[in-house]
Amino acid sequence: MELLCVGLSHKTAPIEVREKLALPIEDQEAMLRDLLKELPEALLISTCNRVEFYVVHGSSDQAKRRVRSVISSNGRAHLVEHLYEHGGEAALVHLFRVTASLDSMVVGEPQILGQVKEALELAQRVGAAGGELARACSAAFGSAKRVRSETAIGRAAVSMAGAAVELASKIFGTLSGRSVLLVGAGEMAELAAKHLVAAGALPMVVVNRTLDGARALAAAIGATAKEFSEIYSLLGPADLVVCSTASPSHLFTRENVSPVLKSRRFRPLFMVDLAVPRDIDPKVNELEGVYAYDIDDIQQIVADNWAGRVAEVAKAEVIIAEEIANFVRSRSVRENLPVLAQLRARAEQIALAEAERTLAHFGVITDRQRRGIQAMAMAIVNKLLHEPTAKLREQGPDRSGNSLAGAAAELFGLEQPGPSSAGSKESISSVSKIASADRGGKQ
Amino acid sequence: MSRALLSIATHAYVLAAIVYLAHLVRQRRALATAGRALIGAGLVLQGMGLGSALVEQGGVPAGLAQGLSAVSFLLLAIFFVLDLRYRLPVMGAFITPLAVAILVPAQLLGPGGASLPPSVQRPLLPFHISIALLGIAAFAIAAGVALMYLLMERQMKGKHFGLLFSRLPSLKFLDELNRHLVVWGFVALSVTLITGAVLFYGSSGGFYWRWEPRQVATALAWLLFAVLLNARFFAGWQGRRAAVLTMAGFCVLVVSFLSSYDPHRQLGAFR
Repeated sequence: MELLCVGLSHKTAPIEVREKLALPIEDQEAMLRDLLKELPEALLISTCNRVEFYVVHGSSDQAKRRVRSVISSNGRAHLVEHLYEHGGEAALVHLFRVTASLDSMVVGEPQILGQVKEALELAQRVGAAGGELARACSAAFGSAKRVRSETAIGRAAVSMAGAAVELASKIFGTLSGRSVLLVGAGEMAELAAKHLVAAGALPMVVVNRTLDGARALAAAIGATAKEFSEIYSLLGPADLVVCSTASPSHLFTRENVSPVLKSRRFRPLFMVDLAVPRDIDPKVNELEGVYAYDIDDIQQIVADNWAGRVAEVAKAEVIIAEEIANFVRSRSVRENLPVLAQLRARAEQIALAEAERTLAHFGVITDRQRRGIQAMAMAIVNKLLHEPTAKLREQGPDRSGNSLAGAAAELFGLEQPGPSSAGSKESISSVSKIASADRGGKQ
Repeated sequence: MSRALLSIATHAYVLAAIVYLAHLVRQRRALATAGRALIGAGLVLQGMGLGSALVEQGGVPAGLAQGLSAVSFLLLAIFFVLDLRYRLPVMGAFITPLAVAILVPAQLLGPGGASLPPSVQRPLLPFHISIALLGIAAFAIAAGVALMYLLMERQMKGKHFGLLFSRLPSLKFLDELNRHLVVWGFVALSVTLITGAVLFYGSSGGFYWRWEPRQVATALAWLLFAVLLNARFFAGWQGRRAAVLTMAGFCVLVVSFLSSYDPHRQLGAFR
């Protein structure tokens, strides 16, 4: 049983493709059910910048074909050219990197962990995530948490908001006294708002689909909340607009922005669109005095600021390599467990039986003496099995396929471990190599 | 003597232009300081050269060569002050090559000598010419700033954040600097027109407007800048429109400046 990952992300597909990708939950469930007909396990991570399938399979070619046909169904054939594939250990590395936000558009952004958790919950609800994927995900969650707490990578997420501030100051010079309109009250909006406040921008107005959401964010950053219906009239007095709604279509278009410009009398208007699908029609940028940027544009600036965070990312990669090594080791232990348990059970059974036989010759003895003899027999078993147990736990099956567990099973006449050990054939030392290959060509 | 000083000053400016262009690419603080020092030294030398020539001529600048030299001097003097005030070495990469481009023809042209008819040789003349040259210098810098604005805006709109994006000042700053320079240039141009009218009224017995190319071009430039300032203050024009109009106005003004000198006599002095 091997792991396979097939998908597309901001690294392979432009925003024009990604923004048409939002998959409703029902579609996601249907796709997973479809895959389950031929594959034992499947997971679908669907975010605004990523659609990825992870499947457990017995035959790689068949699995690839299956996943590709599911992705390209329902008029999505054009996506095929943007797909990438990772097999075996590389798929595992990719899952860990994605979960730890190393593969994110904004490296270190915090949402992805929750999104992978939701993906796992969905797969489990559908019955698509059995032991293998669930264990891989939970290990990935653990390593993501370690990355978050042991590196400063979370700070990198703020660079997106920082880049927006940098762009704005190239238009306005100083941001002090500039009024800001926040459309949508998500986490990115909050982050952007905090940066703008730090740069001196005030006063702020928040609008949101739900007035409650707007009020909550407004209270948190000292802004005022307004009704969503006022959005276009609020554009008049605003200097900066930050959009981050889940709206499936453009909120701002040439047609509804250009009438507002008359009242603005050529005052520049800076609009940032952090949403995918986009809230602002790219044509808005063509209007005189309007500067509209989407998340890909901002990313260009973020990439320029990259150098300072390389060290943190390197630390995170080391943590991920360690965690993957741990995961692979514990997976092989798990696979050896039946042998270990059988070995110990057999030995204990023999020891206790021999102790009973010896005790039968003694005639009347005290309970204490009986317990002493039994303890001695068990101690001999423990002492004898200590080394083999430790070795079996430490070492997974080796490359040649002649696993220690297999040898032990043969020596002691136990049952052979099951075929599920096939997935862990690759040695642990190859993990870091794959991790670096996964990073390659993506920066 | 004054020609030697001017020649040394020109070399200093050429060096400064190279240094400022290098600064545009490498962004070393030492380069900005070196550029500033070279401009400062050049200004002192050129100022001494121009000053001594003016004293010899009784305070009246004469000939295209001296006019060009004076414009480049004023241009760099304004830039020097702006650089001291706002730290704008990036602007040096735009302004110093422009100043050199003005100064080199001045070097090639011979000294024109006092060529104005004695009828206009009145105490008002040096003031008229100086303020005219100052206005041209102010508009030249305004045009340079407008060019910077248009380049910067193209990067912001086109989302190609290249070399200039991180180096140029904000659009807002460039637009405001443009506005100030155009206001001052416009004041100078207006004073030039008024003093010119007074000079000619005195000399030709009240008949001023003769549809000379110089008069037409200057009036057209004045009109363009008047429209620009009106649009700025009353219609809220700014940014791109103001920048384009500034550059157009400056082009007309260049025609006006060149037509202020008698072409035959200037070319005759070309060595």
